[in-house]
Amino acid sequence: MAIINQATRELQVKIVYYGPAMGGKTTNLVQVHDHVQTAAGNKGKLVSLATSSDRTLFFDFLPIEAMTIRGFKTKFQLYTVPGQVIYNTTRQLVLRGVDGIVFVADSQFEKMAENVESFQNLTDNLQSLKLNLQDIPYVLQYNKRDLPNVAPMEYMEFLLNNREVQVPSFTAHRCEGVFETLNMITRLLLHKFINQSVPQYA
Amino acid sequence: MATLPQLTEEDIQKLDETLQEFNTSADASVSLIIDKGGFLITHHGDAGEFDLTTIAALASGAFMANQTIAGLVNEPTFNSTYQQGEKFSLFAINVDDHCLLVVIFKSETGVGVVKYYAATAIKRIARQLKIAKKRAPDEGLDLSMLNVADTQYFFRKKEKEKESGGKKRP
Repeated sequence: MAIINQATRELQVKIVYYGPAMGGKTTNLVQVHDHVQTAAGNKGKLVSLATSSDRTLFFDFLPIEAMTIRGFKTKFQLYTVPGQVIYNTTRQLVLRGVDGIVFVADSQFEKMAENVESFQNLTDNLQSLKLNLQDIPYVLQYNKRDLPNVAPMEYMEFLLNNREVQVPSFTAHRCEGVFETLNMITRLLLHKFINQSVPQYA
Repeated sequence: MATLPQLTEEDIQKLDETLQEFNTSADASVSLIIDKGGFLITHHGDAGEFDLTTIAALASGAFMANQTIAGLVNEPTFNSTYQQGEKFSLFAINVDDHCLLVVIFKSETGVGVVKYYAATAIKRIARQLKIAKKRAPDEGLDLSMLNVADTQYFFRKKEKEKESGGKKRP
């Protein structure tokens, strides 16, 4: 879970990009790394533990510092998981301590079954960590909308969006929607933290 | 999953003192307390050119992966990993349910001495984390001073690229 360090006035948050293999999770991180506007030293190295064919083997990792809010430095750690089915244990490890999730769905028609399977796998893995997706802020992202064989948005909504989460329409390799997604999950996360810590009045 | 307790200035100070004493006794270069989710909580020593944020993320991943492997071969007592190097070596040991102690030390320093002093250090670290947890058992976070209205655009694309739609043309 997120760490707040009162001594150094830092807030650290972990966001995991989840989804089927070759859906664009790593591309998201690469685009953030390449295009984000940050002060010098606020962006870490993009670490990729990948196979020789560039498939994520363990995880990709990008530490990045956003603006300071009311004196708190906000540090985000962005992770991806390997999408291939065989790496499920690895996905469970990466999910440990997760604060927010971006589910990157592949919009191609033939990938719908993989999207659904991956989404189910996400809920199963969270359960194995005694977490519930209902308690975790997440954003759905329908990637590869520029391809000719994409499923209609309504169909993808029907298959994947049972909580009416926000969905940016999106083409990761052109950096379209990448920052909208990241800002969206960031806002959801901060809303959640604040709602947890402030007394609620009727 | 329980959350890591909110750490006050006093907690961090106590943890730093423990690390400082440990580094001196064990002749360690840098020692880090990290969360098993990959966060760096605090560190002590000369970090030099080390990227501690990335080391914390990778060390926790490697530790957890090794722990899983140990479980698969029915080894229930796994609690540390040791990476031997020619210049620097790295030792990671379990502190409690949430945290690890990671030690980077020069290779000429024996791992035995690191392990010996780490055993005491992790007890002190665990004790301090327990105190923090006891102080506010249900309160992992207090962000009431943050104003979400300030956070409309946390991350921005570089200005020049925004104008050109972010596309790199050949």
